[in-house]
Amino acid sequence: MGTAPLIADSVSAAFDERVVLQDVSLTLQPGTLTALVGANGAGKSTLLHLLQGQLSPTSGRVLCDGLPVQRCRDQVALMPQRGRIDWSFPITVREFVDLGSVRSRSYGCCDTEAALQRVGLAALAGRRLDALSGGQQQRALLARALVQPSRVLLLDEPCAAIDPPSRAQLLQLMRQLADAGQTLLVSSHDWGSALDQYDRVIVLDGRVLADGTPDQIRRRLGDQLDPGAHCHD
Amino acid sequence: MTEIDLWLVPLLMALLVGVLCPVTGTLLVTQRRVLQANLISHAVLPGVAVAVAFGLDPAIGGVLSGLLGSLLAERLQRGQSAGQEAVINTVLAGFLGLGVLLIPLLNLRLDLEGLLFGDLLIVDWSDLTRVLVAAAAMGLLLLARYRQLVFLGVDPEGAQASGLPVRSLQLMQSLVTSMVIVSAMAAVGVILVIGLLCAPVLPGLRRVGSLRAAMVQSAGMGLAVSAIGFLLAVPLNLPPGPLIGVVCMALLCLPKLTLQWRPAWTRQ
Repeated sequence: MGTAPLIADSVSAAFDERVVLQDVSLTLQPGTLTALVGANGAGKSTLLHLLQGQLSPTSGRVLCDGLPVQRCRDQVALMPQRGRIDWSFPITVREFVDLGSVRSRSYGCCDTEAALQRVGLAALAGRRLDALSGGQQQRALLARALVQPSRVLLLDEPCAAIDPPSRAQLLQLMRQLADAGQTLLVSSHDWGSALDQYDRVIVLDGRVLADGTPDQIRRRLGDQLDPGAHCHD
Repeated sequence: MTEIDLWLVPLLMALLVGVLCPVTGTLLVTQRRVLQANLISHAVLPGVAVAVAFGLDPAIGGVLSGLLGSLLAERLQRGQSAGQEAVINTVLAGFLGLGVLLIPLLNLRLDLEGLLFGDLLIVDWSDLTRVLVAAAAMGLLLLARYRQLVFLGVDPEGAQASGLPVRSLQLMQSLVTSMVIVSAMAAVGVILVIGLLCAPVLPGLRRVGSLRAAMVQSAGMGLAVSAIGFLLAVPLNLPPGPLIGVVCMALLCLPKLTLQWRPAWTRQ
């Protein structure tokens, strides 16, 4: 792995003249698990879409290995919010995960079968997607992202609307991926004790309010921290 | 036209349209683009009128006009977070109105009723050829872009994020949908075609494990619907197009009625 696969440099974004992000800078280091926390409407999803190259900033730039991110979008995979998926679509889990390789003959960290094994869905690969539980569906989404030949994984609210054991399982998986060298940025509007599971926490509210290790964030923001759960309690 | 042509061509037409429309409809239903297909089916009318006025093949005018309606609605929908269905329906009404107005304005001798509701009994080999061309276009699209169409259906935003050419995919699909609708016009008309696009898709959609399987089961169902409509039309001496429309609705209603009227002892 090279250094700093993804950099946001003074990025701003606005929709219909409403400023959503202002002057946001961050550098994601390889092999790290970073939490992007903030309230609803703080600009987390917008930032993830900018980092993936799907949106263009009104000012600033996003670089991937020193190049504009639009030129290396294959390197950055985005796991969307579950609400964006049509779960009732007639498709098996295996075919859904395999869509991660739709633009490339090569695979990311693993091929479809290995990705299914990695997220613990190999036994359910032949089932219809809507026959899975919410937590299993989130793992299928993660497996699809793993099949993409990317070095950076951006996960938009992966722990939303799933039960605590599934959240714990998902967080463990993300930890394993980071330990294996993948770079992960995970957004959530919930935050609490599970912040300790992350290497780094970025607090966002239109701009970066705080950026550091979980301990540094606690010391800095102290009382402002929501006692609710992040990825698990 | 020989005696065989008199029955064989309409029957073949009914069966081919009965297969092609539901296959196209499976894509539209799973991508939630049925309203757009309804718009295309109504928007073909001005193009047909203009093509006839200039002595061109009405199918070419119809396809272009349907595509134009679809593009216009898409353009007007941009930046509208609400009221997208209203935009589609307004464009639909506008194109239909324009088509109806063009017929007297251009002094055309067009069978408007036949265009709107179809007339299977007067179709000829050229109509059959149009269906075969539309079927070939659909076959090519599926062969070349099947996985991308699946991605577009299950996760349109993810497809875009993956760098798939979503816009050109949708354009290709609109073009093929226009071709299918125009080719089916002679059999069931631009109004009734929507029934054949949708109804055969729905009964088995929840049971199948892939888009491919959904298309196969829809095609089988559409074939049965068309055959029943056509075969009922002969003894009843009724037009086959509207009958096929009624059979489509019955296809949706029957399973629900059967469930409600089950004998008490089977309702455990």
